Amino acid sequence: MSESSKVLLDIRHLSVAVRDAQSNTPLVRDVSLHVRSGETLAIVGESGSGKTLTFLAALGIAPNNIKVTGGEVLFENDDLTKLNPSELRTRRGTAISMVFQDPLSALNPVFSIGTQIVEVLRAHLPMTRAQARTRAIELLERVHIPDPHRRVDDYPHQFSGGMRQRALIAMAIALEPKVLIADEPTTALDVTVQAQVLELLSQLREETGMALVLITHDLGLVARHADRVAVFYAGRVVEQAAVKDLFHKPRHPYTVSLFRTIPRLDSPVHTALTPIVGQPPNLAQLPEGCPFAPRCYLVKADCSSTQVKLIDTTDSEHLSACHHWPEVHPGS
Amino acid sequence: MFAHVGRTLLRLIVTGVGIVSVAFFLMRTIPGDPAAYMLGDYATKESISSLRAKLGLDQPIWRQYTLFLSNAVTGNLGTSVVTGQPALQEVMASIPSSAILAVSGLVIAILIGLPLGIVCAVRQGTWVDVGVMLGALAGISFPVFWMGLAAILVFSYWIPIFPALGSSNAKDILTQIHHLILPALVLGISIAAYIARLTRSAMLEVLSQDYIRVARAMGVPERRIIFKLALRNAMVPILAVIGVTFAWSFGNAILIEAVFSRPGLGSMLLKAILARDYQLVQAGVLILALMVVLINASLDLTYTVIDPRLKAS
Amino acid sequence: MTTSLEQQRLDRQARRSATLRRFTGHPSLMIGTVILLLLVVVALAAPWLAPYSPTRTSLINTLQDASWAHPLGTDQFGRDVLSRLIHGTRVSLLVAFWVVTLSLVIGTIIGGVAGFLGGWIDRGINVVNDILMAFPGFLLALAIVATQGSSLESVIIAVSIAYTPRVIAVMRSVALTIRPRPFIEASRSIGMTSTRILLRHVIPNALPPVIVVATLSAASAILAEAGLSFLGLGVRPPIPTWGNIIADGQASITTNPLISISSGLCIAAMVIALNLIGDGLRDALDPQMRRQTAKIL
Repeated sequence: MSESSKVLLDIRHLSVAVRDAQSNTPLVRDVSLHVRSGETLAIVGESGSGKTLTFLAALGIAPNNIKVTGGEVLFENDDLTKLNPSELRTRRGTAISMVFQDPLSALNPVFSIGTQIVEVLRAHLPMTRAQARTRAIELLERVHIPDPHRRVDDYPHQFSGGMRQRALIAMAIALEPKVLIADEPTTALDVTVQAQVLELLSQLREETGMALVLITHDLGLVARHADRVAVFYAGRVVEQAAVKDLFHKPRHPYTVSLFRTIPRLDSPVHTALTPIVGQPPNLAQLPEGCPFAPRCYLVKADCSSTQVKLIDTTDSEHLSACHHWPEVHPGS
Repeated sequence: MFAHVGRTLLRLIVTGVGIVSVAFFLMRTIPGDPAAYMLGDYATKESISSLRAKLGLDQPIWRQYTLFLSNAVTGNLGTSVVTGQPALQEVMASIPSSAILAVSGLVIAILIGLPLGIVCAVRQGTWVDVGVMLGALAGISFPVFWMGLAAILVFSYWIPIFPALGSSNAKDILTQIHHLILPALVLGISIAAYIARLTRSAMLEVLSQDYIRVARAMGVPERRIIFKLALRNAMVPILAVIGVTFAWSFGNAILIEAVFSRPGLGSMLLKAILARDYQLVQAGVLILALMVVLINASLDLTYTVIDPRLKAS
Repeated sequence: MTTSLEQQRLDRQARRSATLRRFTGHPSLMIGTVILLLLVVVALAAPWLAPYSPTRTSLINTLQDASWAHPLGTDQFGRDVLSRLIHGTRVSLLVAFWVVTLSLVIGTIIGGVAGFLGGWIDRGINVVNDILMAFPGFLLALAIVATQGSSLESVIIAVSIAYTPRVIAVMRSVALTIRPRPFIEASRSIGMTSTRILLRHVIPNALPPVIVVATLSAASAILAEAGLSFLGLGVRPPIPTWGNIIADGQASITTNPLISISSGLCIAAMVIALNLIGDGLRDALDPQMRRQTAKIL
């Protein structure tokens, strides 16, 4: 990771809301983050925190009733939120690519893997079917799928879980995107396979200088593979830092609470688990001020009335949404 | 692959035997004496007993059943009391006309229903969707014979462009088609309603799947997503409903043929029922059910071509 | 801090009102129910609602056009069409009611036993059921009515036999999915007999899809009765049923189209109502949709 590598994807103050018959509920509020080439940004948060939706909306593939209500998504001089659908379509897969959680459901069951990769290739490049097929075989080789000449004609159900995820990755890098967003890439896989898949992603990142966005709730993964981390809660980024800084000096109570919930092998036997008190936030009925206040161990009187925004803490590039951040101590 | 074919064949045979048995026992449930039933007003003691002997009705039921089964396999389904011709022959002669109607109706139905269903799925919630689905609801709720009568009223009397008679003996094919159009349209529209509804829900289901999201995320153009990637997945349930509606239209052929006075299996069956020609009724019901089963079984085999997951099982 | 019992009661209340909201928030379900209720009212109040007796003939008043005295005209025997239509509601509702009741009772028992007990019983029932389902519904009803004679009773029996196999099939497949579930094993382990498990666990869980199928079968049943009566094989005149009224009107369709048109509209109204209810129930009871939206966040 170098300071001079350029920013590829710059999301600024993005807000996304769902519009249905009864209401207009904001799901993502004022989210700002950026990814540089060659780096891995991890996005951490609970389900419903908006971490996946942010990127779906940025790419224009969120469900129909979910719309961007503010902010910009800058990629190489273009604001993705201002592009029309067909321009946006040409960016998807070529500039930015996304890999989803469950490889079995992410692959079309009635077409062979090869056909699906060819489909993606020919959607953007003027290739003949034969050329595309050759490229597909190369891609399968690149992701270490054995015997690619034969397997290119196999169907998804004929692959094992780990190989399916690799095939998906092959599809995602087919057009050599600058940014690859991996949404929970290992949740559906068992542990040994998880390691291989992440190894593959790291390798690809090194080979191509591609940036990797890892959306996950697995902190172990974050510790091992990420360069920087952004923590989401209730549709906002509550903390953003380099990975070492986040783990050694968390500056938001939510982050601290998250770390506390992980049982440690070196703690005494019979130590009780420490969950985060309270209920997950109801996005339709968020309280005034800080959304984490109802569950925060550090809550003060002014927390429910102060506007929330990301504050620069004294460290470089370590942002926190808690205006009492100096009092956040790990382990207390 | 062959195991699947083999299993389908086996099921076919079992179902076939079952249908023949049902037809057999159905006729035996006629309250009173089948022979008396058949002779109706002409029943006298002697005629009843001679008819019973002729039809083998004085034999124990199991002997009758096995006799019936073995006859059925060789194609002997009895004789029509009215015409004296072999029942099977009568039935087979009436099939072509019904088949033409059923197939034309199905083609019209697919041409109208499938695209409409796709459009509704893609434009879910818009006025187009609501409007077409309301129309489809009407299409499955109005009795098909009423729609036939209404069609005759509108297109044969008020705006006379089609004949009210559903068939013609003319040699030239254009006149025959002219007479076929109205009944085929009525049948087609009523089937199209089912197909549109089901296509819409199958497509909606498929379009909400992850692999479609992935294709969008990779920048595949929307048109390709709908017509290639999504439609192929929706094809299996859609074909299933086509098979079911085709079967349904055979069951309802009798109604359309009655309204349009069109000859065919249905009207033959009706005439036989009214004339108490029970061997003919039996043969007609049997053959019709067998045809439905055969069509569905062949459809079954095509599923493996569409969905490769089925090949594995 | 509420006690856990208090919390449970609040949870149950919340769930019930959520379910209720799902029903009332569904416009098509509400419309269908309203139409059906209207038809029930008409059927029950028929003798008072209808201006004339449905079987009262008049040789001088045959084939009259619509008038104040006869809002829908009269048929070829001088009978008031409107009165006949109103009384026809009874037959259709009777058919719908019996088909739903018989198919639900017989279907859940047979299907539940087959799916839950498995083995020989299941295979036997399944084979017979498949064979019955191989016959198009209307055809089977037709064949039964042809052999048993035309009357309201035989029509109801015929149509019920024709459409019950569907319910059996659905019940059986649901029972099959419920059978391996852990809570069934748990029930067995505390000594519950199979019958009790069937009645208390399997059937209640299977009811939603089964009710949907039964409702939609009722819709088909009404169309089948109409078809049979139209052909002259169903309910015989002078009992008015919408199907045979259409048949009555067929001969005079060009001069008095109202007869056939209006009775067809009545059939459509009831069938649409049943379809709306069936579709609405299916949507309201389908938790899958909720699961799908949860994945995105």
